[in-house]
Amino acid sequence: MSGARRADLVFAVLLTVFGIAATVESWRMPTLAELGVDPMSAPGLTPGLLGVVLAVLGLALLGRSLGGGEMGETAAAGGWGRLAVALVLCLGYAAGLLGRVPFWAATAIFVALFTFVFTVREAGPVRAGAGSLVLAAAVAVAVTLLFERVFLVRLP
Amino acid sequence: MDALTNLGAAIVGLAEPSSLFSVLWATLLGMTVGMLPGLTATLGIALLTTLTFRMAADDAILILIAMYVGAIYGGSRTAILLNIPGTPANAASGLDGFPLARAGRAGEAMGIATVGSFFGSVVGLLALALIAPQLAEFGLRFQSYEFFWLAVFGVVISGRLTAMDDPIKGWISGFLGLFLAQVGQEGIHAYQRFAYGSVDLAGGFGLLPALVGAFGFAEILCVMKEPAYVTVRDVGSRILPSLRDLFGRWWTVLRSGLIGTTMGIVPGVGEDMGAWVSYAAARRASREPETFGKGATEGLLAAETGNNAAVPGAIIPVLTLAVPGSAPAAVLLAAMFIHGVRPGPLIMIESPDFVFQVAGMLFWASVAILVLGLALTKPMLFVLRVPREYLMPVIFVLCVVGAFAIASRVFDVYVMLGFGILGFALRQMNYPMAPLVLGIVLGDILDKNFRRGMVLSDGSFEPFVTRPISAVLAALTLVTILWGIGPVRRAAGRLVRRPS
Repeated sequence: MSGARRADLVFAVLLTVFGIAATVESWRMPTLAELGVDPMSAPGLTPGLLGVVLAVLGLALLGRSLGGGEMGETAAAGGWGRLAVALVLCLGYAAGLLGRVPFWAATAIFVALFTFVFTVREAGPVRAGAGSLVLAAAVAVAVTLLFERVFLVRLP
Repeated sequence: MDALTNLGAAIVGLAEPSSLFSVLWATLLGMTVGMLPGLTATLGIALLTTLTFRMAADDAILILIAMYVGAIYGGSRTAILLNIPGTPANAASGLDGFPLARAGRAGEAMGIATVGSFFGSVVGLLALALIAPQLAEFGLRFQSYEFFWLAVFGVVISGRLTAMDDPIKGWISGFLGLFLAQVGQEGIHAYQRFAYGSVDLAGGFGLLPALVGAFGFAEILCVMKEPAYVTVRDVGSRILPSLRDLFGRWWTVLRSGLIGTTMGIVPGVGEDMGAWVSYAAARRASREPETFGKGATEGLLAAETGNNAAVPGAIIPVLTLAVPGSAPAAVLLAAMFIHGVRPGPLIMIESPDFVFQVAGMLFWASVAILVLGLALTKPMLFVLRVPREYLMPVIFVLCVVGAFAIASRVFDVYVMLGFGILGFALRQMNYPMAPLVLGIVLGDILDKNFRRGMVLSDGSFEPFVTRPISAVLAALTLVTILWGIGPVRRAAGRLVRRPS
């Protein structure tokens, strides 16, 4: 089984389960009949129908993945290692550092780390370190000043 | 003629130094955003919305429109020089633009793209000024039943046209978007759906954080996964296309402009299809179709005219029906709501001048791409030389700030991260993003109008399929679905080809 077909199969199963769960949850929502509300305006009506549609689409995708029907292009291969490092750094900054450290410091740490990690192999530790620190300081100061002072936007 | 007089007045009214300065910097920023692979017009408008939401509505919308026009145009540079479309709308431009660049005619190719984009925008904005008032008047006949079908038709046609090889993926993307919009407090009884006691979930997923995630964070992950790009450094000496060439191709410009505008009007389809359909039409009509894909200037002209004509086209349904014609137009719609502008069928009654003001803003943004595009061809190449390792962390910081800034909720940062990872995963499996965005925007319209319609009809589905406009929309939806099912399409094809 090709990578694309396997990915479709897994996603189809997840989507079908999600669609069924959404329909069941929508069915369990109150109809608000005790408040004199028309049952046709019950809050669960639309999400319930959408859940059914998603489950049907999931089943159609499942059938196609199992039955060998028409397939789209396969997903492009690439640098999964680079991707994993970028993902960890981004999540670490947005969900870990922010809120615990002042914005400017968190931003400087993130930009410096990100740039250093991805440039050190080509530029060497000294050049990569210097470049990362300069960029980190510039971004932290510029973003903080620009958003807080010029555009009057609150920062996380 | 009234429409053109109003358009002229709007253009003159905007010709003041502060407005023109805003147009210049926002268009230049848009061109830069469009040029950088990984940054799209959608992300650019979403981030700029967070910066401009304390400005006066007119100023903010002028800036956002200039960003929109600039970004869709700017992406052509990357397509020509790197064979990587700067935005998805410029994919067709690379087919002939890149061979021209490799032949040492990059400057000429960029000149053709610039002039084509300008004329495309002009055709589109003229159509906007002429069509929008009529469409808004027509929209006044829409009731709940029609708006329900408009929402369904929007995600179905968008899913079909943005995933031509695999429409089921387009539809999954669209219906997933519609479903995600159901999370949070609903608009009729204020019931909190799928909130499970969470105050944050009760507020629902904000459109802008979701878009910043799906178009910003997801793009960062895609860019970091791909190998580094190498840019063409020699653009040649000639930049201005010859006037004789252009006049000789007036029909290509007009046809592509009209096709682009039409594709823009179709909900959720927008600039990408505007370029592809214009390109295909130009190839069919050409006397030398064999040169297409090998450096045909006509192909590049058609693609760039088509995608920029789709920008005003996509704004037409935004203004008249509050339904976006493309993903960037969806953000523009959200920005209009944030600034207190209420687009929809009542726009020609409540604020009739606004439609012409928007057309005037599009005009000045088009002039800006013409002037800046031709004047800054060589200096702007430096933008493409910034390594992604320096650029991407800065973009991510802006994504975090942009997601947080609108409501000052940390939850919105998590929404951005979640939609980014979802968007990346979907993109890796070749699911288009435009139907997802359209679904998120149309989810509320679908929900309210479906339930209102069912209440008005005492639970009967009959008015949904018997009222004339509803019936047409329902039939179009059904035909689009059947057209997307391979065996049905092939059977219909055999039926048509069968000799009588």
